This record gives sequence, structure tokens and C-alpha cells, in this order.
Amino acid sequence: MKLTRSVFWIAPMLALIPHLLLNEYYQYLVNLTLVYVLVGVGFNIVVGNLGQLAFSNVAFFGIGAYASGILTTQLSMPWWMTIIPAGLAGALAGCAASIPALRGVRLFYLAIMTLAFGELMRWSYIRTPSLTGGSMGLSVPAPELFGWVMEREHDKFYVFLFIVVVVVIFTNRILESRIGRAFQAIKNDEKAAAAMAIPTSRYFLLAFALSGFIVGVGGAMYTALVGHLSPEAFDLVQLIQQFAIIMVGGLGSLVGSVLGAVLITATPELFRDWPGFEELMFGVVIVLVILLLPRGLSSLLARAHSVFKDRYYRDD
Amino acid sequence: MMLALLPQLLVSGIAIGMLYALIALSMTILYRATTVVNFGHGDIVMVGAYLLTIFVVNATLPFLPALLASLAVLFVFGYLLHRVFIWPILEGPHLSLAMMAIAIGYALRGLMRLEYGQESVRMPRPFPEKVFFIHDVVITLDEVVFCVVVIVLLLSSYLVFSRTRFGRIVQAMFQTQRGASLVGIDVRLYNNLIWGAGCALGALGGVLLGLILVLDPDAGAWTLLRGFAAMTLGGFGSLHGAVVGGLLIGILEKLLGTYVSTAFIDITCYIVIIVVLLVRPRGLFGQHATLRI
Repeated sequence: MKLTRSVFWIAPMLALIPHLLLNEYYQYLVNLTLVYVLVGVGFNIVVGNLGQLAFSNVAFFGIGAYASGILTTQLSMPWWMTIIPAGLAGALAGCAASIPALRGVRLFYLAIMTLAFGELMRWSYIRTPSLTGGSMGLSVPAPELFGWVMEREHDKFYVFLFIVVVVVIFTNRILESRIGRAFQAIKNDEKAAAAMAIPTSRYFLLAFALSGFIVGVGGAMYTALVGHLSPEAFDLVQLIQQFAIIMVGGLGSLVGSVLGAVLITATPELFRDWPGFEELMFGVVIVLVILLLPRGLSSLLARAHSVFKDRYYRDD
Repeated sequence: MMLALLPQLLVSGIAIGMLYALIALSMTILYRATTVVNFGHGDIVMVGAYLLTIFVVNATLPFLPALLASLAVLFVFGYLLHRVFIWPILEGPHLSLAMMAIAIGYALRGLMRLEYGQESVRMPRPFPEKVFFIHDVVITLDEVVFCVVVIVLLLSSYLVFSRTRFGRIVQAMFQTQRGASLVGIDVRLYNNLIWGAGCALGALGGVLLGLILVLDPDAGAWTLLRGFAAMTLGGFGSLHGAVVGGLLIGILEKLLGTYVSTAFIDITCYIVIIVVLLVRPRGLFGQHATLRI
């Protein structure tokens, strides 16, 4: 069991080794992967652990990214000071997205509603050009950490890796605690959970806010990484990619979120020259995973070695 | 003064609403039969328009045979879609079903882009554009066609549902699949057929849409959300609700777009979805939709 913890330290160490060999572009991809690790971890909390069909993750991501971008451009705050506000903005959006769920909207009703919420947010990025730059996008200065301007991708890497490791460990602790078990109970049977005196609506709110916070922080990192935000980056294509991460990695599994991000993030870059191929491939891969491997690739890893097994994960 | 526009807005709203009603209806049929919400339906609708274009331009078929061919292809596609991808996981979690539909729609979008790349395509027109005037009200020929096609379709599907053996079996399936299987109905076969019919209807909606829209694989999401808005407003699973909802969405888009701000045309359906699900989740004609604990 000691080994389970250490894996969260070993994996980032491994990520350090190729770093020495990479050029700027590959380093950019590695950094992007780190951003999507957070996106996947946050998304998986609501979809995988709480078991709700909520499609609002792209909205959280966009709100976090734009919060960071607007704070740096309008209030000229240094980037590091915008990380927490971006997370809080995401958490606030998460609370808003949980309102329909608290009112008893479930399943595909919730899915449709959160889908509409996400599209509404994208519309508002376009329609508030004074803040967000509208459809032209918002250019953000290079990220700054305590006066240190991170110009190169390698500089950002260390900061991103630190944030990701902290968030993943933090999330692991939460999911292994009674909170995580309450999520699992709600996922398995919400009425039974309520009958066992689990305050379900409180946990709904908590899961959505936590998910929004993590994804919002991911959004702030995304802003620092790309330097230019445009509304198209937060459309339904983005949603499918985020879904692919948690479906391929493994629903409700922290290991799965990380694994999915590592596998999925860089693939669109490979198919840049063939429009349509990327979508076709994502579609087919998700279909195959649902039919053949409903618990994702992390279930294979968990079978191979207990280190990769999530302890809150009921294997039935 | 602004009220003078009202008849015009109602007419164009009803015409586009007919289209939304058709799309919502094709989704409702699938939902009623299998309780699956087809999140890939928007892309299937767009495939209808793309297939027609391919048949007319690449295979140089005349319009009508090309239309029938693309509807037939989509029928077979829907049949196989249910048989191969939906039926095996029908008892599984809702998330898998939703994801399956999304993934298939996404793959279809990729296929459409493989064929045409990023360029936008115009669907070939079966008849030239034409405009009629009735007093101050302008009606395009497209709008007349929308209304005629959808009304004919509604009447004929009413006849099919109430008069034929197939229609009665489908009605039994809509009530309860378990009961239908108990009285000896081959549920899987009829599910396949209903999915085929739903996809073919959606494709017809896509062809009508192609008359007024430049084809774009990404328009699938646009279509899907309008269908959802119509279904939500009318009440999920209600057939006449889908039609009424579609018409109301069409009219509402025009009214909000004119009297409030043009920016509202794009977001009318999102606002309707959010407001209806928060205030009255069962819509106009639907049944219990929320979980109470």
C-alpha cells in the first residue's frame, strides 16, 4: 500500500527524464498534456465518481482560462496570482451548473442542460469583446511567477508539473476519504445513499465545485501555455476530446484520468494535415472502448499491478 | 410600428419551426422506443444533406432518386446503428449510451470532413429560389416546401400509427418494451426498424435544412440543440409536444431576434432549454422528469 502513494511521485519523475531531450514543440505537447491531466481529473469527479451526465466541463475550462486571461490583461496581475481566482471562478460555475442537479434534473436532462450552458458561455465569450476580445481572441502576456517571466516551454513545465502533482495528490486524498465514498454511494444508488443519511445535495454541490475548481486551474495553465484565447477553443470538439480522455483512461479512476490525458492530448497534433481523420479516430476509439473495455485502459493496468488500483474503486 | 412586422415574423418562424419540429420528432421516436437520447442525431441530420449532395454531384443522379437513395442509406444506417452499437449496451448505464451516440456522431462528422475538407459546400437545389408576396408578408418557396413536406409527413405518420399493424406494434413498444416482448413482439427487430425510420426522418430534415444553409459538418451541433430545445419545450417523449415545441422555438427565435436583439437568434434555444428545465422540467406535454428525494 505504501507503493500506491509513491506512484504519484514516481510518475512525475519519469516525466522529468524525457524533458531533457525535448525541443520546444515536444515540450509544448508535454505541457499541454499536463493541462489536460487536470481537465480529465476534474471532469472525472462529476462524470466518473459522482456518475452524473454533466457536459459543462468545457464551460469550466473556458471560464478558468478567460478568468486568468482577463485578470492579467485588465488588472495586469501577474499570472501566478490568477491561478486561485481562476479556480474559484471555475468552482462558482460548478455551483451554478449543479443548480439543475439539485432541483432533481438528472440523466440526459442534465446532459442537455449543461450542454446548453456550455454553448451559452461560448456565445458570451464572443459577445463581450471589451473583456474577452470577442471572436478575435485575447492575447495574454507571457506568464510570470514571482517576477520570473517564463518565456520558454521548459520553464513552464516545472511550474505545471508542480501544480499537477499537488492537485492529483489532493484529489486522491479526497476521493479516498468519506467524501469519495459518498460520491461512490450516490453513483451506485442515489435513493439508497439518501436513505443512509448521506446529504446528497451537499455532495452534489461539493463535487461540481471541486470539479470546477480543478478544471478552472487547468484553464489558467492553458492560458499561460497558449498565450492566446479564442472562443473556438471551447466548443463541442473540445468537449469530445475531454470525454475521450476520461472514457479511454477509465471512468471514475484517477489513474485513468492521467493515463487518458497522456494518450489523447497529443493525438490531434499527429493528424493536423488530414482534416476529419482525428474526429473519425476519436469516434471509433470511444465506441470500441465502450463496447470492449467499459472501464477504460486503467482497468487493464489495475489488473496488471495493484499499484495502479484506485482504492476507492469498487471492482465488480 | 414594430407590430407591423409581426405577421411576417410569425410566418417565417412557423416555416423554420416546421423544420425543427421534424428534427425533434425524429429524435422523439427514437427516445420513445428505446429511451435513448440520440446525442449524435444532429450529425445524422447533416449526413442526410451531405449524402444527397454526393449522390447528385458525384453520382450525377437526378434530385428525387438521390433523395430516396440517401433516405434509404440512412434507414439502413439507423437499423445497423441500433443493432450493432446500441442494443448490446441498452441495459447498461446511461452514460455509455450517451457517449456511444456522441462518439458515432463525431465519427460521422469526421467522415463528412474527410470527403470535403474544410471547404463549405452548397447542396444542389431541386427548384430555383422564388419569393411570393401576400400583402406585406414575404414567403419564400423554401418555406412553403418546409410546411407542405412536414404537414404531409405528420398526417401520414398519424395514419401509419393509428391504422396499420406496424403502427400499432410501435405504439405498444412506446408504452412498454417488456410488455411488448411478453405478447410476442420481436422487440429487437422493431427497435432496429424504428431507429432506421428515425434516422431517415432526420436525414429528410437535413435535406430541407440544406436548402437554406451552407453545409458544414459542425452544423450538427446547431441542429441537435434546436431539436433538444423543441423536445424540452414540448416535453420529452411527447410526439405532438415535439411538433408544438419546434414551432414555438421557430417563432420565438424570430420574435426575440427582432424585438430584443439579433444576438438572441443564436441563443434562444439554449435559454429555452435552461429555463424550461429549471422552471417546468416536464415541458408542455411531458411526464414526470425530475428525481425527488
